[in-house]
Amino acid sequence: MGEQKKEAVGTPGGRRIADIILECRNLWKIYGKIVAVKDVSLEVKEGDIKLIFGPSGSGKSTLARCLAMLTTPTKGDVFLMGECLTKPGVDLNKARAKIGFVFQHIWLFHHLSALGNIELGLRRVLKLPKNEAREQAIQALKEVKMEEWANHFPAQLSGGQQQRVGIARALAMSPEIIILDEPTSALDPELTGEVIDTLRDLAKKGTTMLVISHEMPFAREVADEMIFLDEGMIVERGQPELFFTKPSSERARRFMARLIKLTRRE
Amino acid sequence: MGKQYQIIVDVYEKIFRGIPELVLILFIYFGVGLGLGFPPFKHAFTAATFALGLRSGAHQSQIFRGAIRGIGEEQMMAARSLGLSRLQAIFRVMVPQTFIIATPGLGSEYSLLVKDSSYAFIIGVPDIMFWTNRVIATPPLDPVFPYFAAAFLYILLTFPLATYLDMWGSRKKKQLGLQEGEG
Repeated sequence: MGEQKKEAVGTPGGRRIADIILECRNLWKIYGKIVAVKDVSLEVKEGDIKLIFGPSGSGKSTLARCLAMLTTPTKGDVFLMGECLTKPGVDLNKARAKIGFVFQHIWLFHHLSALGNIELGLRRVLKLPKNEAREQAIQALKEVKMEEWANHFPAQLSGGQQQRVGIARALAMSPEIIILDEPTSALDPELTGEVIDTLRDLAKKGTTMLVISHEMPFAREVADEMIFLDEGMIVERGQPELFFTKPSSERARRFMARLIKLTRRE
Repeated sequence: MGKQYQIIVDVYEKIFRGIPELVLILFIYFGVGLGLGFPPFKHAFTAATFALGLRSGAHQSQIFRGAIRGIGEEQMMAARSLGLSRLQAIFRVMVPQTFIIATPGLGSEYSLLVKDSSYAFIIGVPDIMFWTNRVIATPPLDPVFPYFAAAFLYILLTFPLATYLDMWGSRKKKQLGLQEGEG
């Protein structure tokens, strides 16, 4: 695990060393009167796969977006490789380029081909020359087994294929971590498999990931830690086996029971 | 920021979409130019151009606003997630899609603008209509052919570009996965 890149990174704060990639401390997000994320602290180490799950409206997506600084947290701090992203004057564009993000509804750029979607960040953010960007984009497409579809537009691809391009788009930037916000929940059941397979491949390569998902067999197989979120708070966290055998909180127990029942019905 | 501009744009759109082009041309030329003595608008051509621009701008602003709303915040967020700056996201992601979605509206707005320009002869701008009337008036002529010729010229000015825009737009829209009439 974590054999990909091992550049020990300096820690300006001096507190955390080396391999914590992404971390949040006492994070809050409040929209008007609605508290979406309530005092959440978590850290993702290099090579870690964390899985966040919980009922809809529990603040999972908001938390994910706060961690990627796509939404500004109301209170609390986010650290990427030891650098605080929540203080003023930080170059957030630079930070976001190091955090891959895969959206539930995919959100490929409709006007660009699969290749174009991936090249955009490589060319305009990482400023790679044209041929190098092309090479890396094709490499990323190969990793999700989509290289044959490079010149297709999103509208010409199935949902599962689109999401694989979405993953490739995030992957191509060589991010420190990839955050996936329910990457399969907008897809038809028969299309989730190919996306899960892609994620499994990434897991095998030691990619650092924070995944929001309710794909329980996948979670059990790859997650280092599962985090159960409800009403914006971390209710329970631990190794997958804990949740599958004896979750200690009543809420987690009930939610797991419902999930497992749903999975069986399919 | 944002809110004040929104109000200014709103008021601008509402006012200039509500005034007939002819009234606007006459008001700017005779009213503002000759009446109030605002020098640039004493030239008929400048006054007409300005009047046409104001009205067309109000329509175009509305067309683009609808198109941007049709694309939505999502594309913006996806772009920002890659590390693109706001400006890069606007020019690399939002603008290209905006133009595609706006094409049918832009095409008809362009036709409307060309047709509305025919009012300019009233304040003496030497355009198609001006010369048509001149031709008819000087040795009194049967008006059928000159007006027919004028109509033909207007079609020549509007039809090819409007048709091209329509075709380009629907081809690109198919690429975006948008059905005709949506968005």
